[in-house]
Amino acid sequence: MKMLGQKNNRDNREGLKGWLNPLRYGWERVSYWLQRLTGIFLLVYFVGHVFETSSLVGGRNAWDTMLEMTQTTWGHTFLIMVIGASTFHSANGIRLIFTHVGIGLGKPGRPDYPYYPSSLNTRQRSGIWIALILTAVAMLYGANVLLGGD
Amino acid sequence: MNGISKLALKESQIMKIHYITGILALFVVAVHILMRLVVPYSSSLEYAHVIANYHNIFYAILLESILVLISIHGFNGVRVILLELRQSKIWENSVTITTIIAMIVLVSYGTRTIILANGLGL
Repeated sequence: MKMLGQKNNRDNREGLKGWLNPLRYGWERVSYWLQRLTGIFLLVYFVGHVFETSSLVGGRNAWDTMLEMTQTTWGHTFLIMVIGASTFHSANGIRLIFTHVGIGLGKPGRPDYPYYPSSLNTRQRSGIWIALILTAVAMLYGANVLLGGD
Repeated sequence: MNGISKLALKESQIMKIHYITGILALFVVAVHILMRLVVPYSSSLEYAHVIANYHNIFYAILLESILVLISIHGFNGVRVILLELRQSKIWENSVTITTIIAMIVLVSYGTRTIILANGLGL
């Protein structure tokens, strides 16, 4: 029940528009979403990979047919995305494990203006940047192997 | 306390399993990828080469460990995401049971491939 004098605070809600607006996202929030998106993407790929490799038991023809479908430029581009997603998920995941056990968080401080979170310090930001740089390097190496020929 | 409650792990224990399976998966997947890179990439995917990999018992064990580790890590990750979206006893139990069933189905299907390709089932 609405209390007397209580304003309707729905005006403050941005809903999906606010959720999708990336401009106000801090680096921690970007890495939070990327960790989840890459995780789901990798699980979907893994299920598909288990299914595609099961064509082995169908014999050489079944295997070659599967390869014809997947070993294309688009298939290789998809694999480069898998390489990028798995590298980011791994590197950022290691950062998160360290963070969860308290490594790299820094000491808690008094909340003074402009209220920068002490947890998002240089070490945390560096961890996110290292994950992004490793992702780019792994994708370039993967592109070289998959699209550059033998 | 019923039987299921006695078996239930604490969320902190589940997260430890999540981290351990993630780190172990990193190592076994690295070996799996290296096996593709020790020979030219296209040759590594030839039927005879892949079957030879599966006939190697150590490689078959490696593949099985990848299957189990990533299934546990991946489906628990999905469970965590779904539990962040919504919280109620029915929802939490449904999500947990569904992800465990999906995990068992995927591991069973992948294990079948490994056993048949290894030649143990022929």
